[in-house]
Amino acid sequence: MSQAAMSETYDFLFKFLVIGNAGTGKSCLLHQFIEKKFKDDSNHTIGVEFGSKIINVGGKYVKLQIWDTAGQERFRSVTRSYYRGAAGALLVYDITSRETYNALTNWLTDARMLASQNIVIILCGNKKDLDADREVTFLEASRFAQENGKRIRSRKNGLRYSVWRCCLETAEITTKSTSTKCSGMWVLKKQNTTSNIFTLDTEAVRANGV
Amino acid sequence: MEYEEKTGRAHRPLSPKQNVRKNLDFEPLSTTALILEDRPANLPAKPAEEAQKHRQQYEEMVVQAKKRELKEAQKRKKQLEERCKLEDSIGNAVLTWNNEILPNWETMCCSRKVRELWWQGIPPSVRGKVWSLAIGNELNITHELYDICLARAKEKWRSRSTVGAEVECEDAGFSTADREASLELIKLDISRTFPNLCIFQQGGPYHDTLHSILGAYTCYRPDVGYVQGMSFIAAVLILNLDTADAFIAFSNLLNKPCQMAFFRVDHGLMLTYFAAFEVFFEENLPKLFAHFKKNNLTPDIYLIDWIFTLYSKSLPLDLACRVWDVFCRDGEEFLFRTALGILKLFEDILTKMDFIHIAQFLTKLPEDLPSEEFFTSIAAIQMQSRNKKWAQILAALQKDNREMEKGSPSLKH
Repeated sequence: MSQAAMSETYDFLFKFLVIGNAGTGKSCLLHQFIEKKFKDDSNHTIGVEFGSKIINVGGKYVKLQIWDTAGQERFRSVTRSYYRGAAGALLVYDITSRETYNALTNWLTDARMLASQNIVIILCGNKKDLDADREVTFLEASRFAQENGKRIRSRKNGLRYSVWRCCLETAEITTKSTSTKCSGMWVLKKQNTTSNIFTLDTEAVRANGV
Repeated sequence: MEYEEKTGRAHRPLSPKQNVRKNLDFEPLSTTALILEDRPANLPAKPAEEAQKHRQQYEEMVVQAKKRELKEAQKRKKQLEERCKLEDSIGNAVLTWNNEILPNWETMCCSRKVRELWWQGIPPSVRGKVWSLAIGNELNITHELYDICLARAKEKWRSRSTVGAEVECEDAGFSTADREASLELIKLDISRTFPNLCIFQQGGPYHDTLHSILGAYTCYRPDVGYVQGMSFIAAVLILNLDTADAFIAFSNLLNKPCQMAFFRVDHGLMLTYFAAFEVFFEENLPKLFAHFKKNNLTPDIYLIDWIFTLYSKSLPLDLACRVWDVFCRDGEEFLFRTALGILKLFEDILTKMDFIHIAQFLTKLPEDLPSEEFFTSIAAIQMQSRNKKWAQILAALQKDNREMEKGSPSLKH
């Protein structure tokens, strides 16, 4: 990365959450995003873990402060206190488990209520490598995203626009770093997107995309 | 090449190399003394003067090497002696624990001598026994009760695997769904418990044991159920105790006030624990405390993982076991003292970090934690604040909370 990242100077600081049911692969996805490596022997997260990364969004350096939360229902009361001030959230479900998909509404409600109504959501259908056991289709998830999404109407240089752009970039980087298979998996077209929920099918990939 | 060299030498028994070798009773491992070999036949022979010089140089080298190797041998001997001493002291400690302390547990467990020995770390062979005794069995759980709970858990697993998904949807009362989910979650988490040890994973020797203990516990305490973090505690106990005894220790351990507060995720009470922790944090490490405050770094961020898993996820296992040793001796306050010990150990680097780096650092501690420095650092933490001990501070904060709760409805009227 550039020198800006090394010396930790940045133009914007965005807090990002990773939320979703237990076992959907949240920490794995975060690890992949930060380290660009597949994490094989992952523990389950108790409470919260962290990651950070500086990315370049349209010439500006944006530092992402990522809060990777515990997925178990029981920890909700704890993790709820971590939403405040979050600009975006990676909302993760497991494409091989309808149960994790059904829980999305609850997670989305929490995110909007506790972070902000306008929080930008990247919807991640994880474990694309287990496509044979798929229980939730991509179409279904993108419909969910469209139905629950909000229109972005901010002016181009407004803060909300920057947040949105940033999430877009994050989503793109996430896709790029997770798999070559899904880089074309956007349903909502990249630049013309007006909804603030993006849909992705992701997969934490072993080595070079096996 | 080597063969030629050897046969060649056999024809010239008085080669300089062999001469030298005869003179030296000590042969360094690291040199083949090629310098003393005759030059190949197609080249002019070495002048006598040069050969002499080389011989001399070689001998000097040999002397140096000999010195070095002697020194290393002495070092190895010393290391061996130290290891023997350590093993002796562990051996002695095992004897002391087995012959003196364990038979007279009630009278001896609180003596100064035993407490000091305890701080050194309990030898692995008696560790399980000491933990069991120290944790106690307030709940009077018997091996039979464990068998009953396990049988009930197995019943549930069976009915779950035979009954199809249709029934699941029909009686999707929230609590049943939650309980079902926790059975699934146990399965998922077992394979994610100490994954690098490869003994709790599917097919590993302790996979079923861990599954059984966690399952039996959800039947023994359906009101608590399975909460993430439990699998680590059960795993550490399994490594040190037989299955039924591990279950007894597990249930009694989780029944302690601090563990109950956390595993029930009683958020209010957890905050009280964090507040008490902060009192001692400020007292012991005021500079770092101020730095954390300035960066909005609240203790829940790192303490939740540490307390829920009793450090077994965040510290190397041998260190975690030593923390458990003293936790068994001193109770919950030692968990918070350990946390302060960690903060003290890394105070200098932490003071230079910002929020995200502190959070990242503390939720993923360095793997090569120096054990002696670590315990020295914990020992330096004073668990006394203005003459008040941990329990007093905690009780006072709890009392304040209760009064606030009582007070708040009346404020509304």
